[in-house]
Amino acid sequence: MKQIVSVTLLNLRSIPQRWGMSLATVLSIALVVGVLLGFMAMANGFRATMQGAGGDDVAIMLRGGSMAEMNSVLTRDDLRLIEVAPGIAQDADGQPVLSAELYVVVNGVKRSTQTEANIALRGVGEHAPALRPGFTMTAGRMFEPGAGELVVGEGVLREFAGFDLGQSIRLGQNEWRVVGVFSTGGTVFESEIWADIGVIQNLYDRGSSMQIVRARLTAPEALEELSAYAEEEPRLNLEVLSERQYLSRSAGGTTNLIMFLGWPLAIAMAVGALAGAWNAMYASVDARTREIATLRAIGFGGFPAFIGAMAESMLLALAGGVIGAVLTYLAFDGITASTLGGGFTQVVFDFAVTGDSVVQGVILALIVGFLGGFIPALRAARVPLLAVHSD
Amino acid sequence: MNDLTLVRKNLFRKKLRAVLLMVSILIAFLIFGVLGAVQNAFSFGVNTAAQERLVTVNRVNFTVPLPYAYWGRIQQVDGVRDVAPASWFGGYYQQPQNFIQAFAVDPASYLAVYPEMVVPADQRAAFIEGRTCALAGRALATQYGWSVGDRIPLMSNIWRQTDGSEAWDLDICGVFDDLEGTYPTNYLIFHYDYFNESLAYGRDSFHWMTLTTVDPARNDEVSQAIDELFANSRAETATSTEAAFNAAFMEQFGNIGLILGLVVSAAFATILMIVGTTMVMAVNERTKEIAVMKTLGFPAPRIFRMVLGESLLLSLLGGLIGLGLAWLAVSGAGAAMAGVMPGIALTTPTMLTALGLMLVFGLVTGLLPAMNAMRVRIALALGKI
Repeated sequence: MKQIVSVTLLNLRSIPQRWGMSLATVLSIALVVGVLLGFMAMANGFRATMQGAGGDDVAIMLRGGSMAEMNSVLTRDDLRLIEVAPGIAQDADGQPVLSAELYVVVNGVKRSTQTEANIALRGVGEHAPALRPGFTMTAGRMFEPGAGELVVGEGVLREFAGFDLGQSIRLGQNEWRVVGVFSTGGTVFESEIWADIGVIQNLYDRGSSMQIVRARLTAPEALEELSAYAEEEPRLNLEVLSERQYLSRSAGGTTNLIMFLGWPLAIAMAVGALAGAWNAMYASVDARTREIATLRAIGFGGFPAFIGAMAESMLLALAGGVIGAVLTYLAFDGITASTLGGGFTQVVFDFAVTGDSVVQGVILALIVGFLGGFIPALRAARVPLLAVHSD
Repeated sequence: MNDLTLVRKNLFRKKLRAVLLMVSILIAFLIFGVLGAVQNAFSFGVNTAAQERLVTVNRVNFTVPLPYAYWGRIQQVDGVRDVAPASWFGGYYQQPQNFIQAFAVDPASYLAVYPEMVVPADQRAAFIEGRTCALAGRALATQYGWSVGDRIPLMSNIWRQTDGSEAWDLDICGVFDDLEGTYPTNYLIFHYDYFNESLAYGRDSFHWMTLTTVDPARNDEVSQAIDELFANSRAETATSTEAAFNAAFMEQFGNIGLILGLVVSAAFATILMIVGTTMVMAVNERTKEIAVMKTLGFPAPRIFRMVLGESLLLSLLGGLIGLGLAWLAVSGAGAAMAGVMPGIALTTPTMLTALGLMLVFGLVTGLLPAMNAMRVRIALALGKI
């Protein structure tokens, strides 16, 4: 045991003598971990924005087979049948807590690129804020029903130009005034602009149609009751989902795409870095052949030599992993970006370097260190005693 | 024994080390090749856009429809040659997961606007004649095993017919190919009239119009004239070139070029450090040998060239194998993904860039060790014993 400790310390103390190779190994592993964590931060941020919004006690109803809100059409008759459905919570006045919603996609100019991109302009009813947990007006006030007034999400405000409080905006033929800014604590709803549903229906020739109905359930279990009702009512062709289910379905594609790109890239780069680590460790063992042989000659076993080389390799890898994680955290965490989400509109999200992904990154680094150190360490263990004479 | 043999022997004196270095170089160029192909797919729509083509959409957003009557009015605009209206169908085949890009179009005008679509003359005539006919792209037809004469129910996740059905029965009357891989064949077109007549809602409207001008030089003038025509109407238009329209759409996904660029830079930075330090070390090990060579009368520039040659050889060997693997991967993926994401291909410019990078990489990693080798002082080096 004592042997292992002293050989390991000897190994580690000699790292500065080979600083070039060692530094290259550390930095290359740091870059591998950085690339992996960068992609994971993107995927996690996007997923958090989409799914953080999804409650189990909110039901989403859309036309059967339409898959996404954008393709769905519901009529006023559908709404009447939904209003009397079981499982939906009621407010103090005995009214069902639900919000019929309709959105149109409008163009906004992105601050970063000055190009046009899709924003959701959502027409909502009075219960809409109550159906988004954490909804607060951070500036101004809510729009008046029937008026050409908008409230914008904080995400829209960050990413798009021209939506500041008090500004007038022309979207197509219509003048709108921004009267308020709202926050929902970083969830996907902040990437939207809201207005009165009646005004939207009118201005975009949608008659009395809507796309989805959101409803507060009396309890998460009431979803089954509601689904059964929709199933049995012949006049309804509805798909009933919890908000969480609906949003994970919309987020899934993009998140998977990012992950499917990130992992193979990181693994390919890890193989490259592995070659580097291997090389560095060979160099380390070669440089110390004489030293190791001397140790063997004075009675040290082969095993401590093996452990010593492994420890050096793992330590370099660990340092690389940690440096990579810290740099990624400093460079990417909290960066705001936006991409095209499930509803064919921009979803504004923040990169999130999570503890979980850091652990995965460091594990990848340690695997590189282990594999890279293993064979050179074996070689260290087998240094012949006669190598004492080598130069 | 000529210099090249010496270079080769030097490079492979430690076989494992040489192979490891080659593997890491190989990986970097594999990543470069594959990501270059992906980027090519993302810019495919922009590169394949014809100069004289314009796209007119609703000013609010391209998902908001325009009235059908605009078709006739745009044809009247001076400088316009052909106008093709199209509606987004939101199609799927059998299951909602089998998403099909399908547009309801006016057949004759659509084929006139897109001369890149290659259709045999008889199929072309049959498609234009048959009311329930559809023309499928080669990649799409291959993906679902459709051939001419098949009848398929195409479902829509947006539209419904007055009888409540969501399926339009279509006859595959033709399959279109592309001209030399420059046009996507992953979609399907069918008759607008057939689509429109039984529509339960949203009738007599379309989503975009592609038009050709008589002369690309008049593009700006024509787009202005079109947008002015509908200014202050209920549905104002925005007209831009096809390339600008496609670029703006791809831009919505985010700055893909930047992300891919960062990844490639990270990969190259990694191998630059690994290979660079290893080369310095490898040459240092040989100090004594180089001193002997100098004693034998090898001039310093020749030694410089030999070390540089070694790093170049290493870079080219690893890089070319990596590029070859990338080519294999891309050919495989390109064929499999043609239906979903056309344009995944390793283009000549990408390959030439890769070749250039190999040379630069070889020179950069070899320069320092080559200088060191050239400066070896015989007395000092041999005195080391």
